[in-house]
Formats: sequence, C-alpha cells, structure tokens
Amino acid sequence: MKPVFKLLAVVLFVALGIVALSSFLQDNGGGKKIRYSFPYREAGLTDRQAAAHLLSRFTYGATPGQVDEVVNMGLEKWFQQQLDGGLPDDSLNVLLADNDALTMSNATIAKTYPQPAQIRRMAIRDGVIDKDSVNKDTNKKEYRDQLAEYMKSKGFKPRNELYRQFINQKILRAANTNNQLNEVLTDFWFNHFNVSLTKNDCAEFIPAYERDVIRPNANGNFETLLLATAKSPAMLMYLDNFTSVGETTRQLNPKQQQRLQQEIAGALDDASRDAVLKKMQNAKKNQGLNENYAREVMELHTLGVDGGYTQQDVTQAARVLTGWTLYPFTDYGAGAAMRKVIEKIGEDKLTERGFVHEGDFLFTMNRHDIQEKTVLGKNFPANGGYEEGVTLLKMLAHHPSTAKFISRKLAVRFVNDNPSQALIDRMAKTFTDKKGDIKEVLITLAASPEFWNADALREKTKSPFELAISSVRSLDATVRQPQQLNNWITKMGQKMYYYQAPTGFPDRSQYWINTGSLLNRMNFGLALASQRIPGITFSLAGINHNREPESAEAALLVYGKILMPERNLDATIKRLTPLLNDPNLTKKVDEAAGKNAPPVEANSIVQGDDAMMTADGAKGKGPKGKPGKKNSDMTVAQMQNTYAVANNAMLSQVVGIIIGSPEYQRK
Amino acid sequence: MSTRRGFLKSGGLALFGIGIGGVPSFMKAAAASGKIISPYKKKKILVCIFQRGAMDGLMAVTPFTDEYLRAARPTIFMDAANNGKGTPLIDLDGKFGLHPAMKSFEPLFRENRLGIVHGIGSPNNTRSHFDAQDYMESGTPFSKGTSSGWLNRAVGLMGHDATPFRAVSLTSSMPRSFYGDNPAIAISNLQDFGIQMRGSNANTTNMVAKSFEDLYDQTSNNLLKETGKESFDAVKMLQKTDTKNYRPENNAVYPASALGNALKQIAQLIKMDVGLEVAFAESGGWDTHFNQGTDQGIFARNVTDLSNAITAFWTDMGAYQDDITVMTMTEFGRTVKQNGTGGTDHGRASCNFILGNDVNGGKVHGLVKPLSIENLEDKRDLAVTTDFRSVFSEVADRHLRINNDGLLFPDWKGDKLGVMKG
Repeated sequence: MKPVFKLLAVVLFVALGIVALSSFLQDNGGGKKIRYSFPYREAGLTDRQAAAHLLSRFTYGATPGQVDEVVNMGLEKWFQQQLDGGLPDDSLNVLLADNDALTMSNATIAKTYPQPAQIRRMAIRDGVIDKDSVNKDTNKKEYRDQLAEYMKSKGFKPRNELYRQFINQKILRAANTNNQLNEVLTDFWFNHFNVSLTKNDCAEFIPAYERDVIRPNANGNFETLLLATAKSPAMLMYLDNFTSVGETTRQLNPKQQQRLQQEIAGALDDASRDAVLKKMQNAKKNQGLNENYAREVMELHTLGVDGGYTQQDVTQAARVLTGWTLYPFTDYGAGAAMRKVIEKIGEDKLTERGFVHEGDFLFTMNRHDIQEKTVLGKNFPANGGYEEGVTLLKMLAHHPSTAKFISRKLAVRFVNDNPSQALIDRMAKTFTDKKGDIKEVLITLAASPEFWNADALREKTKSPFELAISSVRSLDATVRQPQQLNNWITKMGQKMYYYQAPTGFPDRSQYWINTGSLLNRMNFGLALASQRIPGITFSLAGINHNREPESAEAALLVYGKILMPERNLDATIKRLTPLLNDPNLTKKVDEAAGKNAPPVEANSIVQGDDAMMTADGAKGKGPKGKPGKKNSDMTVAQMQNTYAVANNAMLSQVVGIIIGSPEYQRK
Repeated sequence: MSTRRGFLKSGGLALFGIGIGGVPSFMKAAAASGKIISPYKKKKILVCIFQRGAMDGLMAVTPFTDEYLRAARPTIFMDAANNGKGTPLIDLDGKFGLHPAMKSFEPLFRENRLGIVHGIGSPNNTRSHFDAQDYMESGTPFSKGTSSGWLNRAVGLMGHDATPFRAVSLTSSMPRSFYGDNPAIAISNLQDFGIQMRGSNANTTNMVAKSFEDLYDQTSNNLLKETGKESFDAVKMLQKTDTKNYRPENNAVYPASALGNALKQIAQLIKMDVGLEVAFAESGGWDTHFNQGTDQGIFARNVTDLSNAITAFWTDMGAYQDDITVMTMTEFGRTVKQNGTGGTDHGRASCNFILGNDVNGGKVHGLVKPLSIENLEDKRDLAVTTDFRSVFSEVADRHLRINNDGLLFPDWKGDKLGVMKG
C-alpha cells in the first residue's frame, strides 16, 4: 500500500471506529469512554436510591446534596472519576499543612522522633543525664526537665506527636477529600496489609507506609502494591523479615571465608582455634530463618489460608526472601555499624555483588540463602539473588487463589458480609484477565446485579470510623480537633492503626456491633449533635439552607432525609415523634428562662456553635434547684430566645438519636 | 448466700423495675417459666491479669540460695536473711523467697490458696514484647496469623448462653486475648455503660434512652436488634447497683491504681451476678531496664500494687471465692545478670501467680535449675521449663471445665503441671 493510502485507511478506520463506538458508549466529558453501566434499574432502584447506595459504599458518607450531584453527573461517570482519582484537594491540603511530620521521609522521622528508650540511651551516652537518676523518685522533675532540654537541643520531638499528626490526617482526609474512593481503598488495603503502631519497632515507618506504599497504589495494580508492601520498612519490621537470614549464607563471601581460614590457620594452639570457631558459630547462632512474613504473605496477603500452600512452601518462600531488609537509617543503634560497612565498601561494589538498594529497601546478599528452592511447584535455581524474591511475589500476586481471595475480600467490603460465589468468580476472572488491575475488578463488582440487590442494600454495618466520619460528613461539620473524634472512635471499638494482629480488623458486622460498643455509638450521636465534642462544629440550619422547619415533626422529617437520604424513615419517625411531644419541653423552656439565657440569634433554629455553647453553658452552670425566674418577668425577645434554646436542644436531640439509630449504623 | 432463684422471685424484678425500660427481657421469660436461667446459674469465673513489659520473675520470687544469681546481681540481689540491708525476702520454702513488697500474698500462700509457677514462658524464644505478648495472648506461639485470642476461644468452648457480660476486659481497647468470634466487651469504666446526656435531666435522658430502645427493637436488622436488646438489658443490670459509690466488703482496700480500679469493677460485676465468666485486666511498668531497685524502688512499687490489688479483690469477693480463680501472666522474664544501669534486660522465663480455692497452692511449681551458665538459655536467661500453655490449659480445664486443648491451644500437646487440685 502506498503511504498516502495507508494514512487514508488509518484515518478512515479511526473515524469509523469513533462513530461505531460512540453509538453505545457514554462520553464522560474527560474524553474517556465509559464501557459499563450499573444495573440498578433492573433491581427496582431509582436514580437517587442508586446514587445513595453508591455513595454509602464508595465514600465515607454522602454530604448534604451529594446524592443529587451524583445523579446529575451520572452514576457511572462519578464512579469512573473516583476510580481515576487525582481530583484537586486544595482545602484539604490547607488543613493538613500544619502537620510537618506528614511529608517527612522515614529517615527524617527516625531522626526526629526517636523512641523514648533511644533518647534515654543517647542522653546517658552524651552524659546529659546520669544513668542512676532514671526511675528515681526523688528527682523525677529534674530528670524530666533534663531530658526535655536534651531533646530540644538535639531537635528530637516526642513520638506521640508523630502519631497524633498521622491519626489526624487520616480523619481529615476521610472527612474532606474529594478523592473519597481512594481514601476508602487506602483504608481497605492498609487493613489488608496491616501493620500496627502497637509494635514499636515498626511504628515510626507506618506514616510513610500509608503515604508512599498504600495510598498511591490503592486504585492501581495488585502486583505493584504487593511488591511495595514487601519492600517497605514497616512490613519488613512488623513481620520480622528484616531479621531473616539464610542457613547457607554462613559460608559468607570468599573474602570473609579466606580471613576466617587464615585466622584459624594462624591460631597458635587448639584453644585459640576453638575460640575463633566458637566466635563464628555464636555470631551465626543469633541469626536464622524467620518465616513470619513468608507465612502471612501467603495466608493473609495473597493466597488465603485455603489457597493451597504447605508448610514446606512457607519455609522455602522464607528462604527466597532472606536478605530482604531495611537500609539503615540512623547513626545510632545497630544500623550505624551496617551503614559504616556499606559506606566503606561502596555502593557500586555492593551492586556488583548482587546487593540492591532502593530507597529504604536493602537486599543484602550476605544474608541471602543462595541455594536452590521450590515454592508451589516452581523451581528457583541457586544464586537467584534479589530477583527470585520478585519472581516469587509476582507469582503470588497472579495466582488463581489470590484472584479469588482478593475478590472475595473486596466483595465483603463493598457488597455484603457473605457475597455470592458467582460474584466472586466474576471478579476473580477480571482480576486474572486484567492482571490484577484493581479498578477493573471494582468495575466488575459495581456493574454486577449483586451489588444492587436487596440483600446488599443497607446490609453492611459502618465501622466506628465510618460512623464517625459519615456523621461529620452528613452534618457538613468542620473538624478542628480530629483527636476528639478519634477518642470516640476508639471508645466505639476501633483504635485506628493499633490493631495488633496482621489480619487487620475483621470486616464483619458482628465484630463491630456488641453490647460494649453499641451504647457508645448512641452516646456518640448525642454528644456530636449537641456539639459537645470539642472542635467539631456545624450548623443544623446551614445544612437545611437556613430554612426553619415549620414544626417539630417537619424538622424530624427534614433532618431525617438530610442525614439518611433515600432511606425509608417511617419507623424512625414514628418512634421519634413522641419525643417531640415531650411534656418536659415546657419545663425545659422554663428552666432555660430561669437561667436567663443570654440572647441567641433570633433565627431560632440556627445552630452555630456559639448558640449551642450558650445553651449548654446555661444548663450546665446554672444553680441547681433554684427556682427559675417567672415567665412574666421576661421580655418578648427573651421569650423568643428561650424558645430558640429549647428548640435547638430538641433538634439536636433528634439529630443525635438519628445518628445513634439502627438505621444510621447501616450502609 | 441466697440462691439466685430466691433473689429472682423476691426482689430481683422489683430492682429492675426502676430506670429506663423495666425488666430485662430474659428475666421476664425466666420469671414466667420459673426456671433458673443461665446468667443466674452459678458460674466459674477466671480473672486474668497481664503484666505488660515482662516481669523479672527472679526478683518477684527469688531462688535466694542460688550463689550464681547472687554473683550475677551484685547490687539488686535480695536475701531472705536479715542482713541489715533493707527488708529481707519472705522465705517461702527454704529455696524461694517472695519479694517483701508482696507481703499481702504471704497469708494466701500459707493457706495454700496461692500457687506460683516458676520457669514459665513461651517455647518461642522471641524477646520482643510485641511478639511475645501476641503469641501468649493468641495462645499460638509460632503462628502470628491466628485471628482469635485464647480467652475468646475459652468463652466459646464453655458454650454457655450469651449474656452481655460473659467476657469483660477492663481496658480501653480490646486485648488480643479477647479477639475472636465470641462476644466480648472492653470497657474501662462501668459508669460509661448507659445513655449519657450531659446537662440534661433524668427525664430527658430516660426518654432518649427509651427512643433508642424502641428504635433498636423495631429494626429489621437482626444483629442490631438483638445487640440493642442486650445492651439495654445490660444497662438495666448495672442500674441496680450504684457503681459510683461502691463499697468493698470485708474492709478490702483497693490500691488507687489502674489495676486496683479494674479489679474493683470486676468485683462489682461478679457481685451483680450478670453472668461474668472471663475477666481481663492489665498491669504495666514491668520493663525495668533501669534501676529496678530492691526492697524499695520501681519494681517494689509494681509488685506492691499487683499483690495489694489482687489481695483486696480476693478479700472483697468473700462468699464468691469458691467460684473464682485469678491468674497473672507476663510475656517473658529478664536476664539473670543485672545490666549496666541497675536493671535487667529482656530474658526468657518468668513466674506467675494463681489464686483460688481449687488451686494447688502453697507451692512453687515448675523447675528452676541452678543458674550456672550451662543451665541458662542462650547462656543468659532463666530457661523456660514450663510452657505457658500447660498452665493456662490446666486452669481452664480444672476451673472452667474446658478440656478441649486441641481447640483452646491448637498445635499444643503436653502434660499438666499440677497447679490445680486434681
């Protein structure tokens, strides 16, 4: 074909293609085509009902008006936008800007926030504090001051400050980010590849783990994600692979071998030769194979416990992964010596010898088991070095058991606690066909009828974190003190980042709903709605466009709809109506009057924090049992204000009950 | 002690009549059927105390005749003989001496109610607090992925009817021991158990509570419905006693410490007969790398708190003592040699305490060989001669009647030590 015709043919072909495609594709506006549609109408759902369901699963809760936004945009388009991520988050970034630890590298964090015990050792070493003064009763204050002064001079900051900033960012992101699905998936994958602040040795690496390993890969590719976790300091420490040493590496490199031989040959007598041998043996004895990571990467991260591996596979995989460790960060502790060695030999020479240094990750050839191994029937010939570990992890990432295991876990998270096998199989097929593309698996999930079925709707229970965040989102609240919210989340049974076991929090309603936690959920609703949680503020009038409901019953209906869009509220309203006809209401008004509440805005239902603070303060601080001022003493304005206060109290009670209600615990 | 049935018929229902919603639903059913229902059936109770940080077992219960130990600890070794250097150890049996700050334990030991196991620890030789606690609490020392804790499995294996308070941990978050499928509660303060509306009067609070109770009663979600019912039942149960102004019996005085408060609240739950079977509390500060002291100092303060809290609890329990076993545990022991800063570093075996009327008490069980270097584990630590699972499973078997070791401690088979009366 002549070039001109070739070009023409291509143009023609492309043009035809576009015409053909656009007849059955929607344009999502960004030039990208959406190849799927959600079968919610088949399940009998309206656009709004479907949008509410979609938002309840793939975000931390709908904000007021968001259901309509999604309907207007188109559900598929909204979903695709969330999958693609990368939406601007300017206002969130402003909120996060104060937290300087959030952008630090692992090395900087290790230097800035040493463990208390490390600080103590350094202070003793530097002669700043006397070792005998530690733990003594007499000069506790002096000791603390000395230590504080030392930390200041060295630029050290307390560990808890690091954790505080880290937990704050989690709450601020979840409540505010426009990239909601990315944040939900970050939570999902963090929990899947769980690490825990309870383990001191890995705690300092966890902020960067979430930031650099989990979040950027959360809507990406499973293989990339798995490899990134395997090489992260947090995981290497949490599941101990950093310490794992191969049996055969004891032969050491030829140079060391030679030196040892020389030393033995040069020994003057049997005793000193034995001493040399013993020294070597002892050095080796403290090291050895550690199977923890190898076991959990198969059981929890990829294949699943019934994924078809044996103890033999675990041991062999552990051998493959020997030598996967951390690059030493600090100038103190065990890392210092290692760093000196690395610097002395030089990275170029180490690379020649098979060492790999990538960021915080280090593959050390001298700890690696160089012998042949077999995992899951696959042979790894001797001297495979770093690459054999990569091959192993890639093999695990794409294993059919992994496809099923990950699909099931995603279905449990996003559909219901017992997803159907048909759905799992369909997702697993996508997982395999699309080589672990997480977005594609989620599209298969959301485009499946199972996602929209009656047995999926409202069937998941919000975790305490989800309850707290969805509450502040539905109230359009401003979170100034995330720590306060975190205290409640902990109280409701979810201590963020502190789940000790590598399994992560169980994703099951039964785990979250128990007698210990349920009352706390109700109390959380009441505390939040009455603005008793410091640093969490909102305006109830604001979320109703500053319109005042005409009656208490109307308020119930209006706020019920705002907080739980597209839910059947009949039962809730029926149960709560008697509360509105509270005979105590009059009494409350009298009480409030008696305490001579300072004026509040006449726009009665307005719920700015000032108004609520006043109402609360008046109630809390007023003298108890003292008879109230008579109503006749009050001016009309005072009367109005008084009713406003009582109304506000009533309204916040209603909102509190809605948040604590069974319907609101469901998503 | 009156029978539970008598209580039920006489005053029980009346007591429940006050407060938010009347009588707990299971009690109504019980009253109607005239049967003794599960929470009121006499139950055995196991109280576990985890000493986090690894207690120096060699200082708590010192083999004081061991010259190796004396040499290894030049400034922190204590003697049973009065040598003019502070208060001597309490000589238990001519070989072991109890730390003098634990003097409140001595009568319990002499009455054969308190048993001690020395040389207890994990077969996994990790010296990481995190890993060792994790293994001890999951009960599977070689498997990190075990999703449940051994006490949660114990609750399941007892298989009694659910009451809200079957397994209660007096801690702010759920301990690893309690992870699992069986319902368990973590609560640091019993007074938190109820609907709280600061600044509102009792009427309003009751009304709000009633609204919640109704809403949960009406929900189509079974789990929420049942748990809601249980929760409000629990609130009603707790309302019959004034938890804020609790007065211990028999002049028991709990130390004003976290452990003292936890045990005091466990005592209240037991006296309320709410069906408690497994309780959990924690004690901290055992990681004594620096200046642990001798008869005075940080270690002495810790064991004072531990022993006084347990003794107060025991005294307070009075008539309930036959139903109760208290067991302490710690993740590992500490080095035989003292370190350069007057403390001890992470070691292997430690000791633990078991208190109860069916304990084979008045003895130091287990095996502690002379602490010469060849008898030490890795040439530095008191060797583990008793697997913790051997003791835990015996207590569970004899006291709670759980004899399925295969489920309670998978991967473990072994002999019982005889810490409980056969």
